[in-house]
Amino acid sequence: MINYLGKFIIGIFKETLEIIILFFNTLGWIFFGFLRRKPVKLESIFYQMVFAGVRSVLIVFFITIFTGIVLAMQTAYQLEKMGAVIYVASLVAISLCRELSPVLTSLVVAGRVGSAIAAELGTMKVSEQIEALDIMGIDKNRFLVAPRFIALFFMLPCLTILGNLSGILGGFIVGTTSLNINPYLYIQTTFKYLKLKDIFTGLTKSFVFAMIIALVSCFEGLNTKGGAEGVGKATTRSVVISFILILLFDCIITAIFYFSKL
Amino acid sequence: MEKEVVISLKNVSKYFEGRKTIDNVSLDIYRGEIFTIMGCSGSGKSTLLRIMTGIIKPDEGSVIIKGKDITRLSYEELNETRKSFGMLFQYSALLDSLTVKENVALPLKEHTKLPDQIIDIIIKLKLSLVGLRGFENYYPSQISGGMKKRVGLARAIALDPDIVFYDEPTSGLDPVVGGVIDKLIKDLSDKLLITSVVITHDMQSVFKISDRIAMIHKGKLIEIGTPVEIKNSNNPYIQQFINGSPNGPIDFFKEDIGLTDLY
Repeated sequence: MINYLGKFIIGIFKETLEIIILFFNTLGWIFFGFLRRKPVKLESIFYQMVFAGVRSVLIVFFITIFTGIVLAMQTAYQLEKMGAVIYVASLVAISLCRELSPVLTSLVVAGRVGSAIAAELGTMKVSEQIEALDIMGIDKNRFLVAPRFIALFFMLPCLTILGNLSGILGGFIVGTTSLNINPYLYIQTTFKYLKLKDIFTGLTKSFVFAMIIALVSCFEGLNTKGGAEGVGKATTRSVVISFILILLFDCIITAIFYFSKL
Repeated sequence: MEKEVVISLKNVSKYFEGRKTIDNVSLDIYRGEIFTIMGCSGSGKSTLLRIMTGIIKPDEGSVIIKGKDITRLSYEELNETRKSFGMLFQYSALLDSLTVKENVALPLKEHTKLPDQIIDIIIKLKLSLVGLRGFENYYPSQISGGMKKRVGLARAIALDPDIVFYDEPTSGLDPVVGGVIDKLIKDLSDKLLITSVVITHDMQSVFKISDRIAMIHKGKLIEIGTPVEIKNSNNPYIQQFINGSPNGPIDFFKEDIGLTDLY
C-alpha cells in the first residue's frame, strides 16, 4: 500500500518535472529558434490557430450565453427579495469576466482542443511518426509543440473575451425581457461597476490556462505508450489533468488577486 | 582494397527491465554494402536498429558512425549526424497531415535552404525513382500500403543520405511489390553507393539482396557471413530459421510460455 502510494507520488513529481522541462524547451524554441536558424513555422501556427480558436467560437458562444442567462435568472431570484433586480446587470458582468468566462472557456477548449492534440500526437507516437521526425533530425518540440502552444496562448484569451461578451448578452436578454429592466439602464449599470481590472484578471487566468492545456495535452500525446488503447488513455488523461490543473490554478490566481486587493 | 567501415558497434548491450535484450554485440558495416540482420520476432533486431539510429541509447558499448560515437554526441550533434541517415519504417510512418509531396519535401525544407522550385524538382526525381509520379497530392490515407512504403523510401533518400536503414521493408506487401522494394534497395546501393542496413525475416529477399547477413537470436549475434556462407552454415539455429521449421534449437513453446519444467 505504502509502496504503491510512494510510487504514485514519485510519478506525479516526475511528470510535473517533465512538463516543466517541456515548457522551457518550448519557450526556448519560440524565443531563440530563429537564432539557431530554425524558427517555428508560421504556417503551422496559423493552422493551429484556426483549429483551436476560430473553430471553437460557436461552442464558446453557446456555453457562455446560456451561463449568462442562467446566472441572470438565479441572481434575480435572490435580488428580487431585496428589490435590487437592477444589480443583476453588474453581477452577471463581473462574475463572468472575473471567473466564469475564463474557466468555462478553458474547460471547453481543454475538452475540444486539448483532447484532439493528445489524440493526434498520441497516434503519431504509436504509428512511429514521432520516431520518423527524430530520425530526420526534426525537433518535435519545435515542429509539433511550439505551434500548438503559441496558437492556444493567443486564441484562448480571444475566446475568453468573446465569452465575456456573449455572457453579458445572455444576461441582457433575460434582464430586458423577463425582468423588465430598461435596456439602456441595463447597459449603464453593467459598465458602471465593471472595471477594466476585472477583465484583466480574467484574461491573466486565461493566459495561464492556455499554457496548461497546451503543455498537458502535448506531453500526454508525446508520451503515449501502446496502441489504440494507449491513445485513448492519453486523451482521457490530458482532459482530466487539464481540468484539475485549470481549477487548481484558478483557485491560486483568484487567491493572489484577492489578497493583493486587485 | 581496404573496405571503409561506416557503422561499427563495439560490445553493445542493452537491458530492458532487467532483461538483457542486446547481449554484447560487436559488428562492422562497410560502405556501400547491404547488410541484413535477421532473426525471430523479439530477438532484439529492431532494438539493434534503433541503437544504430540513436533512438535508443545502449547501456554498454559504443556505436561509431562515420568516426563519431553517437552515444556520446549532444542532441544537436546527433541531429546533425542524422541528416546523413534515411530510414524506411515498417509501417512507413508518413505524416498523416501532409500530402505525399509534403512528406518527401519535409527533410528538404527543414534542413536545406533550397528554393521551392528546386525542391519541387528533387521531389519529382525521388518520386519517379520509386515509380510514384502523379501521386504528389494524395494523402497517405488515400494510397495503398505498398505505395506508402515507396513514398517512405522516397522520403528516406530525399537528402541523399549515406546510410539508409530499412525496418522490415517487405513485410505486409504482396510478392511483386516486395520484389520492387528489393530491387530499389539493391539499385540504391549499387548506383549511389548507399550503405544499407536491412532488418527482415523474409528469407526470399534476404538472399536476393544481401552482401552480408547477420543472424541474431535472443540478443546475441550468432553468425555473420555472406549469403553463401549462411546458407551452408552448420549452425542449427540458422538452418532452422532458413527452413522455417518448428522443430529445432529455437523452441517457442518452451521459451515463451515457460513450460521448460514440463518437458
